Amino acid sequence: MILKLKKGDIIVIIVAVCLFVFSVSLCFLLKKSGKQVRVYENNKLIFEGSLFSDTEIKLSHNLVAIKNGKVYMKKSDCKNQICVKTGMIENSRECIVCLPNKVIIEVE
Amino acid sequence: MFAEQGDNRSRIKSICIYSVLTVCCIVFGYIETLIPTALIAPGIKLGLANSVALMLIIFGDIKGAVLVNTARILLSAVLFGSLFSLLFSLCAGTASVAVCILVAKSKSVSAVGISIAGAVTHNTVQTAIAFFVLNKGVLFYLPILIISAIISGFVIAVISILVSKKLKSILSF
Ligand SMILES: [Zn+2]
Repeated sequence: MILKLKKGDIIVIIVAVCLFVFSVSLCFLLKKSGKQVRVYENNKLIFEGSLFSDTEIKLSHNLVAIKNGKVYMKKSDCKNQICVKTGMIENSRECIVCLPNKVIIEVE
Repeated sequence: MFAEQGDNRSRIKSICIYSVLTVCCIVFGYIETLIPTALIAPGIKLGLANSVALMLIIFGDIKGAVLVNTARILLSAVLFGSLFSLLFSLCAGTASVAVCILVAKSKSVSAVGISIAGAVTHNTVQTAIAFFVLNKGVLFYLPILIISAIISGFVIAVISILVSKKLKSILSF
């Protein structure tokens, strides 16, 4: 038998498992109480979901993408392209607006 | 362990041994990039290179472990990495060796405990840096990274114990 686990090894493993449990609950908290993304088109709520689950939302004239905890306007057929140039947002009360297509993305 | 005596022959021998060990680390690091473990989650590695530092710690050669580990990180960054990856691996690698040394001070810990403590530290520090520098989403990889660190830490410890038994006669005087 080459492996003789000592008392200290058990302690290290217990600490590591505690760290694992802690990180899982941290993820759970972040996902649950974490930031929500809302997408409106023509004043109607089209989408509501977590900022931390990557997805893409297709609207009639726009394409919204949620990736790595950030949300951005991936495509838009509007003339000014202000919404696309706004870039990525991630903080509460930030928003991206596409006036020509009446689309609002907000993080809360 | 090696260089304390101060006479030239043992100094030359220790320089040779450390160089060979560092090269082994770099080769291990390269071999690991061929195994697609990163498909499970980014950042998952077996950490074969750590077995060298761990072996030196088992032999009680703390200075050698720090030396070889730092040389490995700097050299692999120059050869395969970027300045950005250097920041990551230098922070995580140094923190991991520091924890290994601290844990190794306790007499009631074997190589298994040292290895797991080092691996878990490495992955946690790396995730923490990515969390603050890159994006908050990486936090969701932390649980799987900790579990993989426990498993790979255990495997690396077994490898190190086996290899250190074979190498003991070569590495000591
Ligand atoms: Zn627009």
